[in-house]
Amino acid sequence: MSTALATVNRGLFRGLNLRQKTLMIIGSTSLLLLAIVVSSVYLGGEPLQTNFGSKNLAPSLEHPFGTDWMGRDMFARTLEGLGLSILVGGLASTISTILTIFLGLLSSTGKTADSFVSWLVDLFLSIPHLLLIILISIGMGGGAKGVVIGVALTHWPSLTRVVRAEIKQLKTQEYIHISRNLGRSKIWIATKHILPHLVPQILLGTILMFPHAILHEASVTFLGFGLSPHEPAIGIILSESMRYLSAGYWWLAFFPGLSLLIVVLAFDLIGENLGKLMNPKNAHE
Amino acid sequence: MVNVNSHTAEPETGFDPLLGWGCGHVNFEPLVQSTLFKSADDGSLINDLATNYSVSSDGKTWTVNIREDVRFTDGEKLTARDVAFTFNTAIGSNSELDMSNLEKATAINNTVVKFELKEPQSSFIWRLRYVGIVPEHAYKKETYGSNPIGSGPYQFVQWNKGQQAIFKLNEDYYGKKPYFKKITMLFLDKDTAFAAVKSGDVDIAEVEISYANQTVNGYNLISLPAARAQGVSFPMQNNTGEKSLKGDPIGNNVTADIAIRKALNLGIDRKALLEGVIYGKGDVEYTGVDQREFGNPDARIRGPNLEEAKKILENAGWKDTDGDGIREKNGTKAQFKLYYSSADQTRQALSVAVSEQARELGIKVDLVGASWDEIYANQYSSAVLYAYSSIDTFNLYLQYHSKEADDTYKNPGLYNNPIVDGYLEAALRATDQDQATKYWQLAAYDGNTGFGPAGDVTWLWLVTIDYLYMADETLDMGTPQRNAGADILGNIYEWKRVNAASSTS
Repeated sequence: MSTALATVNRGLFRGLNLRQKTLMIIGSTSLLLLAIVVSSVYLGGEPLQTNFGSKNLAPSLEHPFGTDWMGRDMFARTLEGLGLSILVGGLASTISTILTIFLGLLSSTGKTADSFVSWLVDLFLSIPHLLLIILISIGMGGGAKGVVIGVALTHWPSLTRVVRAEIKQLKTQEYIHISRNLGRSKIWIATKHILPHLVPQILLGTILMFPHAILHEASVTFLGFGLSPHEPAIGIILSESMRYLSAGYWWLAFFPGLSLLIVVLAFDLIGENLGKLMNPKNAHE
Repeated sequence: MVNVNSHTAEPETGFDPLLGWGCGHVNFEPLVQSTLFKSADDGSLINDLATNYSVSSDGKTWTVNIREDVRFTDGEKLTARDVAFTFNTAIGSNSELDMSNLEKATAINNTVVKFELKEPQSSFIWRLRYVGIVPEHAYKKETYGSNPIGSGPYQFVQWNKGQQAIFKLNEDYYGKKPYFKKITMLFLDKDTAFAAVKSGDVDIAEVEISYANQTVNGYNLISLPAARAQGVSFPMQNNTGEKSLKGDPIGNNVTADIAIRKALNLGIDRKALLEGVIYGKGDVEYTGVDQREFGNPDARIRGPNLEEAKKILENAGWKDTDGDGIREKNGTKAQFKLYYSSADQTRQALSVAVSEQARELGIKVDLVGASWDEIYANQYSSAVLYAYSSIDTFNLYLQYHSKEADDTYKNPGLYNNPIVDGYLEAALRATDQDQATKYWQLAAYDGNTGFGPAGDVTWLWLVTIDYLYMADETLDMGTPQRNAGADILGNIYEWKRVNAASSTS
């Protein structure tokens, strides 16, 4: 066994190579996130009911995350909240990605289109992010719908900027010139030559947008915009817990906060590892 | 010296009775000013500045005699002219203090004031009770609030906006002098107030009802009744596409059906709400004014009775035919929205509990936590969880007398019953309070109809909440008067400091 291999293959799962390990990390974290979403969808009803007989209980086997001021099980509430967060994140990222692809390809079609796209990006980036989300979600009539639209419409600019830079670089390539000289239309070049090169960028960008979207959903609901305070959303849970810190109910803030952190980190982990696999520059490692 | 955390938020316009200090939206002891009447321990009215009063037989002229030995803290004498000036200025003050029924007040001589009303109004006594008298010679609307002069038990010292106000004892006070020489009123929100209690910085502070099971060393938790009733208003009219003056929708086909309202009134377990949501600090509530002397015990209903409630729904045609747990009638689902103020946790908990209990009856209540602007815009078409603490009988009139859909929180269900209107008007016209009380009670239920649950079931009243205070155990508050919850300083005259070691409680 060479020393180089030994440094890579230490610790748990030493039988697997790096590629397998990366795949395993991606697989297990995705499974965790999927489990959260699925359980939150099928949970509903019973565990979310109030039970005024068991208010403010510390964590126990029956209530792993404790209970809140209305006797609701915090584990169920946190799951519901995270499920909502992930759904919002997913929807927002998808819509943002579609916007990005559209605007990116549009920018490749000509000079005017390109300056229009970069103007739009600058415009959106110049307004404070959170403020824009709040404005849009109120404008859209509030509620969960408002939050989703608000988060979705504000996360595309940075990814669009990356994609646009990538396209600028691609357009200087020989084969694009040749293709254009052969008389291919701008749209044809955009979809057949440029788009395939952008897939890894876009895919990674989308996944790395998730944590952003989730954190923004949490902050908007934390500030009290969007959802009603009886609905389980992670931001609402956290802002509610603030009131009880002086009463010593630490579990109301600790577990939901920790869970949010884990979910966000999980997405980061997936993105990072997918990057390892898909980026040609370090795929050989 | 005593530190008090104010039960009301900081007065935006300062300590000016004509702009809402002590009277208007909430009524409480103004400290700096004195009032014509005050409340005895049992809640009845006794003289303060006044020595007696009489009402003319048509109910339109009120004559009040006042003491002649009273001076403002700047040394000037308080005369009937100041009283008249106070009330005349209040007419046009354009604040929460509603004086629209007062034609004018005139000083007959130094000690007699005559009030002429546009319409007879027996509840005018409550205006006389809570409006603090300001000096004519030193009153300017713009500046009085931040530098008030009065004849009350305390003298204003300073006001640090956003933080605190300091009052010192009025050495020339004509009545029984309080024990405490100085009062510091801190303007804190309830969480901060509780933290201040924990660090021992305040003598008394109001705390959230959710802290009811907390204990702090050196403090006693006291709960004071204030007849603060929490209830759900129902839109009483069918949805016909009509709009309010502001263009908000009117009517709800589900809550307009008396069977739904009646079933909820019968089926909701108020006792469970009392114990569960507010830790037993309060009482169950049926008519919104159960604890007042003008409340009518006959207007209540016996409950909870889930079976009876279900039977009412069945008989009215509300049946669950598609098996989803929600009843229908002619294709309409027994489902309506209930708005609550998202800033208030107790209202949130009550709404959640009502919604869960209603589900057992087969009625789906969708909750919406919202801001007040949004609530007012939806009050004519959806149920709303309101809190009322009407000590002033005029509120009953405003709450149940028919009106136009004018987007104020009075009579949010647009209740309209000519018989009840008649009783309410008769109550206002009554020239003595006993007779008025009789009519207020008839309006709730006359054996046949009324606004109470036994009659038209206009509301789903749930519970009455006490106010909770954390008080330093060295503080002896005497006997708080009957509705002291919202007016804790009302008996400041009886407060004193006792030695902690010698107190046995």
